[in-house]
Amino acid sequence: MIHTVKRYWRLYKVLIAQFFKVVLQSKVDFLMGLFGFFLSQFMGIAFLYLVFEQIPSLQGWTLDQLIFIYGFAQIPRGIDHLFTDNIWLVAWRLVLNGNFDRYMLRPMNIFFQVISEKLQPDALGELLVGSILVIRCMMKGIVVADGVHIALFFVSIFAGAVIYTAIKLFFASLAFWLKTSGPFLQVAYEMANFAKYPTEIYAKGIRFIITWIIPFAFVAYLPASYFLGVDGPFGTGGSGGVVAIECIIAAVFWFVAYALFQKGTSIYESAGN
Amino acid sequence: MIEVKHVSKEFVSPKKYPGLKGAIKGLFSNEKVVKKAVEDISFSIEDGEIVGYIGSNGAGKSTTIKMMTGILKPTLGECIINGIDPSKNRKDNAQNIGVVFGQRTQLWWDLPLSESFTILKEVYNVSDEDYKERMKFLNEVLGLPEFFSSPVRTLSLGQRMRADLGAALLHNPKVLYLDEPTIGLDLVVKDNIRKAIKIINEKYQTTVILTTHDIGDIEELCSRIIIIDEGKKIYDGSLEELKDTYGIRRKVSMEVKKQEKLKGLNLAEKLGASSEECCMEFDEENKILSVTFDKHKLQVPQVMNAVMEVTEVKDIQIQETELAQIVKEIYNHGIDGKAV
Amino acid sequence: MKKKLRIYFPFASNELKRQMAYKGAFYLFIFISLFSSFIQYFLWMAIYGSSGNGILGNLTRNEMIVYVFMTYVTSSMVMITISDWVSMDVVEGMIAMNLIKPIDYRISLISRAMGQAVYRFLVPGIFIWIGLEIYKVKTLGMQVTGIGSILLYLLSCIMSFLICVLFDFCFGMVAFFTTYIFGMLMAKEALISFLTGQLIPLSFFPGVVQKVFDFLPFSSMVYTPVMIYLGKYNSSELCFVLARQAAWVVILYVLGSIIWKQVTKRLVVLGG
Repeated sequence: MIHTVKRYWRLYKVLIAQFFKVVLQSKVDFLMGLFGFFLSQFMGIAFLYLVFEQIPSLQGWTLDQLIFIYGFAQIPRGIDHLFTDNIWLVAWRLVLNGNFDRYMLRPMNIFFQVISEKLQPDALGELLVGSILVIRCMMKGIVVADGVHIALFFVSIFAGAVIYTAIKLFFASLAFWLKTSGPFLQVAYEMANFAKYPTEIYAKGIRFIITWIIPFAFVAYLPASYFLGVDGPFGTGGSGGVVAIECIIAAVFWFVAYALFQKGTSIYESAGN
Repeated sequence: MIEVKHVSKEFVSPKKYPGLKGAIKGLFSNEKVVKKAVEDISFSIEDGEIVGYIGSNGAGKSTTIKMMTGILKPTLGECIINGIDPSKNRKDNAQNIGVVFGQRTQLWWDLPLSESFTILKEVYNVSDEDYKERMKFLNEVLGLPEFFSSPVRTLSLGQRMRADLGAALLHNPKVLYLDEPTIGLDLVVKDNIRKAIKIINEKYQTTVILTTHDIGDIEELCSRIIIIDEGKKIYDGSLEELKDTYGIRRKVSMEVKKQEKLKGLNLAEKLGASSEECCMEFDEENKILSVTFDKHKLQVPQVMNAVMEVTEVKDIQIQETELAQIVKEIYNHGIDGKAV
Repeated sequence: MKKKLRIYFPFASNELKRQMAYKGAFYLFIFISLFSSFIQYFLWMAIYGSSGNGILGNLTRNEMIVYVFMTYVTSSMVMITISDWVSMDVVEGMIAMNLIKPIDYRISLISRAMGQAVYRFLVPGIFIWIGLEIYKVKTLGMQVTGIGSILLYLLSCIMSFLICVLFDFCFGMVAFFTTYIFGMLMAKEALISFLTGQLIPLSFFPGVVQKVFDFLPFSSMVYTPVMIYLGKYNSSELCFVLARQAAWVVILYVLGSIIWKQVTKRLVVLGG
């Protein structure tokens, strides 16, 4: 067991080293990617500013609080994006054109092979923007920053990243049945954007969906409100209960998504038929 | 030892209708089409054999290979590769096999070839000593050093194929699957690749299974061939036997001086053979008489004498049926049940 | 002309067929795209609810509802991304292949995009549109949009489609000069969703910024047709915005031709 972990880690190190080489070789491309992300994040913030020109607060939330939620949401998203970006290729093309074959031919875990094939440098843009916004809010003193909150902050980020990965993996796995599931994954992934706002603004059914079906609310808004010291919809108040629920959701979704992925690889049809 | 036991593979896909109207109709229909890519195929292969697996496009070659390598799971039946069922034990099987697909590389496209090998060393858990020894051997046989530090995407097709072959052999697999390994290569490179395959097979007793459309590959490498058509196995045996069974026809072409003298000539009758065992064709324009006959029944001199009795012959050509011809015929007309 | 049509029609119809072939995608796409539009709708409802003012950015609450859904209908129909196809063709060396064929590469792309636009109009565009009109009349008590407005809207959409596709062609050609298009795509998408008014109506921007937008092609892509649909222009303004759209079609066409010439020259030098 330890032997296997060591072997996987050795391989991952080779790939990370490769990643840094590629980043250093193509600085312009890397900066271009960062720029693209900065721009899209900037637009999101600008939208909030424009809206708050017209209104004093959004159902009781201040602009600064919304910016924290927005920034906090970027961090788990960025972590997932950095490490598992290759899942997109499974959804769009690898199954369709049969290039998924190569993972089936190597004596290693298939999921590991898929994600280890690529680290996405663009994700550093999200991580950077997210960190800057979160730090800004901490300096403004609008977040609770005691020991428990800080510890749970990291737990929540990790669980959030797992939820992202699980959702991506789930929709990408549909490609084994549909040949390409890119559009589905795209739409599901983009729904994360809407969980960047307080979910009370939505009708019940929709709130239910983004909380429990595609649970992006647990990646962004719900834990963020806990760190802001605001009572969440579960009445868990100041306790970290919402982070506990987030962890349970992360575990459940991960197992479901991974099971679907494994089922998918077992019915994989390759290309050329 | 490879055992393929009564393996079948079906693909189910939604029914497609032609035309734009059909596309709309397809949206609302739920009909399925079942395609049998492989139907009840069995064979076994001993260690160290080189087997050619041939058939026309869409005959089910790649599907069989994909089942043997663990990419696809058979609908029915099972493949046992050195005691392992790849559909149940993919990773263990993968450790023991090497695969090269001629049409697509398995190397890391953007990385230098050397990096691909570094990664593969970890993937297959090759020890440092084994790695050194293998690389020495592969460098000799495949000439990898000349492009070892170039990114894979910059390699020529021939170089890429050598690289892919090297990558498939790094962990010293017991079985090597080659899916059209010489496709698109020029003659010199083809020859090099074939030589390399031979050396590897001899030195390490590696079992090699290759699919190909290139008859040269088969003639130079394979002691045994399996032919499949429309998903069914139609021949399994040695190359000589195939030539013997199907290459029984010989063709003699003669350019004659006076064509009118050939009128009324019936060679079959004259030589005491049936019309199937000996048939004539005449090309009026070039004045060439072609006689195709069963080589077990008649001899070349017999035929020539019979013709020369009637008219003078200016030029003569004798053709043995080539393997390419045999395979083509089998593809076109199938095979008689009794022949196998 | 007829002959031309015969050459390029297959590009459009093949694309349409290709889109329809993904049956599973068809149903889910309708469902989820509606879903995401609804989320945006709720966000605006909350914003209007938090405001003491009934009119934000020159739009009433009801007009905002129409704006949200018609922006979706319009942008899904006209914003066809052809730069993906261009960059894929570059990667696969297909541009050189296309140069050999006796067809205009750009027109073949536009035809293909047209096929996709028609598909997007059918799925889910027209369903949302009709649903919106019913909702408008039954629940919001507004008037049905007049046939004149609809025709002008469609005319404007056709020009929007051309502006988007021609612009994206120019953008896609950038693939020749950069090996790395993903960052640029991100930047483009972010900018476009903002500058076209998809994210927020342009009337929310400060006056100076709006003046700048008047000189960019983006406002002509989505904002203009939706505003026409909402009947926000008087007749002289209408003439002006339509003329501006036409001008952008011409400008981007010419610009695209110039870039294409440069690119093919470079292509010949590089040898494909």
